[in-house]
Amino acid sequence: MAIVELQNVCKAYGAKIAVDNLSFRIEPGTMFGLLGPNGSGKTSTIRMMIGITVPDSGTIQLFGKPFDRSVLKRVGYLPEERGLYKKMKVMDQLVFLGQLHGLDAITASKRAHAWCERLQITEAIHKKTEDLSKGMQQKIQFISTLLHEPDLIIMDEPFSGLDPVNATLLIDTLVDLRKAGKTILFSTHRMDQVEKMCDQIALIHQSKLVLAGSMREIKSQYPRNRVQMNVTGDMSFLQHPTIECYKDYSGHVEIQLRTQPGVEPDAQSLLADAIAHGTHISRFEVTEPTLEEIFIETVGTVTETNPTGGSLDA
Amino acid sequence: MHNVWLIAKREYFERIRTKSFLLMTIAIPLLMGGGILGGAMVGHKTQSNSHIAVVSSDLQMATDLQTELEHGKHTKMVVDIISPPGADTRKVLDGELADKQLDGYLWITPASNSHVRPRFLWTPKSRADIVTRGAISEALRTVMTTETLTHQGMDKNDVQLLMQPVELDSSQAGKNDDSESAFFSAYVLFFLMYFVIMLYGMNVARSIIEEKTSRIFEVLLATIRPEEMMAGKVIGVGSVGLTQVGIWLLTAILLTSTSLVAQATGSNFHVPLTAMQIVFFVVFFLLGYLLYSSIAAALGAMTNSEQELQQLNMFLVMPLALCMFSLSFVIPNPDGAAATAISFIPFCTPLIMYMRISMGHPSWFQIGASILLMIATIYAVLWLASRIYRVGILMYGKKPNLPEILRWLKYS
Repeated sequence: MAIVELQNVCKAYGAKIAVDNLSFRIEPGTMFGLLGPNGSGKTSTIRMMIGITVPDSGTIQLFGKPFDRSVLKRVGYLPEERGLYKKMKVMDQLVFLGQLHGLDAITASKRAHAWCERLQITEAIHKKTEDLSKGMQQKIQFISTLLHEPDLIIMDEPFSGLDPVNATLLIDTLVDLRKAGKTILFSTHRMDQVEKMCDQIALIHQSKLVLAGSMREIKSQYPRNRVQMNVTGDMSFLQHPTIECYKDYSGHVEIQLRTQPGVEPDAQSLLADAIAHGTHISRFEVTEPTLEEIFIETVGTVTETNPTGGSLDA
Repeated sequence: MHNVWLIAKREYFERIRTKSFLLMTIAIPLLMGGGILGGAMVGHKTQSNSHIAVVSSDLQMATDLQTELEHGKHTKMVVDIISPPGADTRKVLDGELADKQLDGYLWITPASNSHVRPRFLWTPKSRADIVTRGAISEALRTVMTTETLTHQGMDKNDVQLLMQPVELDSSQAGKNDDSESAFFSAYVLFFLMYFVIMLYGMNVARSIIEEKTSRIFEVLLATIRPEEMMAGKVIGVGSVGLTQVGIWLLTAILLTSTSLVAQATGSNFHVPLTAMQIVFFVVFFLLGYLLYSSIAAALGAMTNSEQELQQLNMFLVMPLALCMFSLSFVIPNPDGAAATAISFIPFCTPLIMYMRISMGHPSWFQIGASILLMIATIYAVLWLASRIYRVGILMYGKKPNLPEILRWLKYS
């Protein structure tokens, strides 16, 4: 049984098509990344999943059943636009949001305290929300999403605006939750950030799905033709015939090798050539293309021909 | 339903706890009570208790005037009589006037024959003291009429009987036995209703805008329906208004029933609030609040900021202002055709029908029909408002125009 299953979902706002014939499924216990540039339809898709808006056509199933509001108690949702009651005290706020998700006040309060301890913000508990720093507010919001122990956690751009420390804390918590058997879906436009976390991804571009599947499958479809090097000294090895193109970031070089279909590109001769030139090499790594490179390769050149997607912040 | 209750509860307690609520709840009755007390005090004060001197060679007239001014119905003055005046009397009196021992003196020059009136010269300390001046003028007229009648051979008792003020007995007028204060209390309640509906209607809109700007609604929408959110908001904010009005009404009833005001002012001033008036006040207040707050909810959902709301709030103010203007012909004739017609416009029903129930005699059929009409209107407005709300709260950025709003109504 898939936790989330979308079939041929379409949504348009007036003349603007936000989601065009989108289908994908999320298996239990996966970390699923919904990726795409700004305005590609990520938020519109998520809003339909939790019934804030209704698709024009197509079906959405949560927990193996057609969408029904009663399942929302099993879903934790962190919207892209964070929002809390500014004047309310942190604990009142968390208890209120917990109650909306079907908890009783005592359980909500207990869990909220436990979470505040876990995320190291116990000193904020009795303060008003407006008196907290932005990072703390983000944590409060994060807690409010998880208070009712949802089986499906949906986070829209969870890393935007987080400092590296909090981002790491959030990633660690998400990884723990996945280990505990929860299903996690998050959207982001920063593909580099999530590459290492996701089991599965769906890539959206201009309202259409361009790529979907498990991270490993997708990557294995691409030849390991990228070379990452940290070098100093003689750079003349960059003229080697196996190199298709390269980017030189003074000391760090990213190389794309020439590929022929069916043949694993060979980086050995390049390495030998560099050593022969006496170049000092501190790193030499052959990798798959990054998600971002795959994305660019798939959609061709990313021509930002769609700057209109603003009014609904889709 | 549980969610509506949660939202309403939060809204209610968060608002009740604010300082502005406490301040308003205390300040408004203080202001109103102060106004009433002050008014009564001033009314009491208008009984002039000045100290004056009457100078006349006609001792009889001076004594009569003294009696009238010292023991009259509206005056409690202290009157000295100087009769007949000496050569330096005027000088002495002017000196006392300057020393502020006297508030004024009246110099009466008797007439040379009975066909000419005596001459009265009033020299006040302050020309602004129109109350004393009025009292003296009134007393003089009474004294002179009495004197003339006595001169013409009328019995003194007959004269007194003739001079008695006529009392209009209106105790048979049914419920309006105290029509002046009945009118007063109806008027006060009218403004209370107007004010609270306006204020709390706007509060609903404001609270929606607040949630829009803080983006909290999207968190809420993940578990509850927009309709539940709107209903919770309207109920929560409305309960705050009801609490406030309840406190005010209770204070008013306590104050008037214990005749605290009467004791404080020495007059028998009271605000007659019948049970029916209170019941209808609550019914029409609730209906009016529901109608206007659902309009306000739709307005709040359409806009992004208080400034934008200000431009739209004429939709709230205009019907209420219409009620206010129509008072000028509803009050003189509460059962007339115009008043009846206006009381059936649903947007005016809560205020005008309430006024008519307080002041006139609308039939039960009319009251029932107007309430039914209002309920139907509220239902329609709620339906429209919830659709606008549902789409509107997800919209940021530019203000929607009319065709866009009409399109929202079609969204499922």
